[in-house]
Amino acid sequence: MTTAAVRRIASIAAPARIVPLLLAIAILVFLYYHAPHFFAVRNLINILVQMSSLGLLAIGMTLVMIGGGIDLSMPATMAFGAVLGAFYMRAGGNPAVAALITLVAVAAVGTINGIAAAWFKMTPFVVTLASMTAVGGATVWMTNSVSVSHFPDAFFNFYLARPFGVPVTVIILVVAALIASTVMSSTIFGRWLYAVGINARAARVARIPVERVLFATYLVSALLAGLTGVLLSARLGSASANIGNDGVVLDIVSACVVGGVSIYGGTGKPLGAVFGAFFITLISNSLNQLGVSYFMNLVVKGIVIIAFIYLDKLARREP
Amino acid sequence: MSESLGPLLQLNAITKKFGATTALDAASFEGHAGEVHALMGANGAGKSTLMNVLGGVVPMDAGEIIISGSPVQIRSPHESKALGIAFVHQELNMLPTMTVAENVFIDALPQYGGLVDRDRMRKGAAELLERLGSRFSPEQPVEELSTGDRQMVEIARALARDPRIIIFDEPTSSLTDRERQRLFAIIRQLKQSGVAVIYITHFLDEIFHISDRVTVMRNGQTVGSSAIAAITPTEVVRLMLGEVERQERLREPHAAAGKPLLSVRGLTRRGVLHDIGFELYPGEIVGLWGLLGSGRTELVHALIGLDPIDSGELRIAADSEDRPITPKALHRQIGLVTEDRRGEGLLMPLSVVGNLSLASLSQLLSPLRLIDRRREQAFAEEIVARLKIKLNDPRQAVKTLSGGNQQKVVLGRWLATGPRLFILDEPTRGLDVAAKAEVLRLTTELATEGASILLISSELEDMMRVCDRYLVISRGRIVGELPGGADKNRLMEAVSGGHSTAAAA
Repeated sequence: MTTAAVRRIASIAAPARIVPLLLAIAILVFLYYHAPHFFAVRNLINILVQMSSLGLLAIGMTLVMIGGGIDLSMPATMAFGAVLGAFYMRAGGNPAVAALITLVAVAAVGTINGIAAAWFKMTPFVVTLASMTAVGGATVWMTNSVSVSHFPDAFFNFYLARPFGVPVTVIILVVAALIASTVMSSTIFGRWLYAVGINARAARVARIPVERVLFATYLVSALLAGLTGVLLSARLGSASANIGNDGVVLDIVSACVVGGVSIYGGTGKPLGAVFGAFFITLISNSLNQLGVSYFMNLVVKGIVIIAFIYLDKLARREP
Repeated sequence: MSESLGPLLQLNAITKKFGATTALDAASFEGHAGEVHALMGANGAGKSTLMNVLGGVVPMDAGEIIISGSPVQIRSPHESKALGIAFVHQELNMLPTMTVAENVFIDALPQYGGLVDRDRMRKGAAELLERLGSRFSPEQPVEELSTGDRQMVEIARALARDPRIIIFDEPTSSLTDRERQRLFAIIRQLKQSGVAVIYITHFLDEIFHISDRVTVMRNGQTVGSSAIAAITPTEVVRLMLGEVERQERLREPHAAAGKPLLSVRGLTRRGVLHDIGFELYPGEIVGLWGLLGSGRTELVHALIGLDPIDSGELRIAADSEDRPITPKALHRQIGLVTEDRRGEGLLMPLSVVGNLSLASLSQLLSPLRLIDRRREQAFAEEIVARLKIKLNDPRQAVKTLSGGNQQKVVLGRWLATGPRLFILDEPTRGLDVAAKAEVLRLTTELATEGASILLISSELEDMMRVCDRYLVISRGRIVGELPGGADKNRLMEAVSGGHSTAAAA
């Protein structure tokens, strides 16, 4: 391929990166004039807290998507882990042990997804759709669709703390984003994962343990789902099957796609997905501020994701 | 059949360009009723393009097609069918969950009042299957049939329209011996009923078994055509490969010494590779010489565990003894250049640096176990300089390099891991003369430094410049060994197959 052709691809790809940024600025300017409450410090912090759950989930999804897969079970896994931890705390258990229970439970789900997708070569979409259903069903069955609450104070004191005025969940998001960025850009695992996502066959010829790499992505996505579940339980004061509702998975995939993570695998950065999470939260929140109905909100999000997948496709198309 | 009627089909001076590349250069072909005419040529010689012109899939730029003496236009597969031309494709384009009858009539389902007429369809299919001597029912789903039976369905589909011309595109590549014999019987039957059969294959023995004429293509041209009785297999190979110019050797044949690095015994993959055995010695370049379809790529895949094997043993020299080794473990120790540079060799969107360092990342870590970019860059630049890879910036995407430089990146990646064994499958494919010479020179340098090299190439000129020894492979067996000094006649005879060559030579 000629350099001119490459430049042409880059010029098509560029809008895919710049469009969400411009849109975000446009929305902020619009809100400045039409929804002044939006810029209240309380609302801004609220947005940051809201986006931190989505951001953590999007980081996990980013790894899976770079490897060429998808993990639809993330929200269901999150609710499953959160509810198990909540049961333990309601019975008077220690919050640290509860968090451990949550992480072990979600790791089990991630292991099943990972083994099925990596070694058994089952289609990730179907495997995680099935585990989403199974895990989601188990959660509803365990809870009878009732929220589990009554957590010890120590739990809230830890997760709802605001050192220097910054909520703990935001700090956790920043740390997770920095670690994920470093892993993807500067570790052997990161290089391997990009290689597997670009071309699994070529990666195998280059001696990369393709199955182990793919497996790890599903394990990490499940663990991040578990972590998010713990944070969300603290914020909501309860855990329920409903925190992993169907809308969440669309939000995660939207955040990734808006943030430049390709659904075809091989490209994308964790920080991009975090920005995408900010963008998606911004849209929901601002539509809310403008008094738009929740259901119209879903319509807008659906349209946004279709538009960005189209941009992704344009950027990918080789002349 | 009488020849006086003139040819049923004439393709005259067909020319086709795809962009700047000429796929067909005034290619000509004749098909007679009641004759089997074989079409041969290496990969990319233009066989498929020529047949696609006839099938209406590819429009020609110039030339004429004459059927039964009158010029015709073929602008679509539909027009081709209407002229009585049928294709039996190599990869079986079946709808596995549908029945045999449905598959046979899928492009012209008999209808009755707007609905599919199942009775007529079933009867039609049953008749065709009987003609082919097949025993399965038209009601059976295709997925329950063996490969050979599926081939019969494909043939039945071709016969459904009573064609005058049938093209078989490498029909035997996945058939068992018995299925192949049945196919040949059917072809003879078709021939007797006056059909003109065009038979595309890579297998020389089949041509001499089944066909009446053979036409050989090379570089988009039809370079020779002859009655089968008037030509020998070696002559066909010579036509396929063209004039092999004897170029200066880059390294004189080197006699192997010491103990073998790799010994292969009884390597078998059912239906593909049979009892393969050979040794590779340190410092030698061994050419695996065989035509396309001989099993050479399959052997490479089996050696390194990309395809499973049914039996056989590999041993590799370790310290002073030799130890058994599994194909997967062998893969981790060798430098591998595969035939498919874009699909298997390189990660095209990644940078040159990223591609070069991929197998050596563990040596480029900082104390924090992170990849040290400065060292990675220096590492890549050293390889770039050593192999004289031409580029603007090591950070540019590898897909922006020329083919020769891409190939050097593949080699460079392994070079840094210091393997004792290299397997190079078609390393010079698609390269220009200068790039070829550079890649071959690099190969001899590796051998001189003590590495063993197994080289596979369809280009005999290239092999003859560097090989110290040849293993001749045919139909999945090692059928002989030749010294590095062997001339092109011996090499060509070696792959022309035993039986008829022995008589001719």
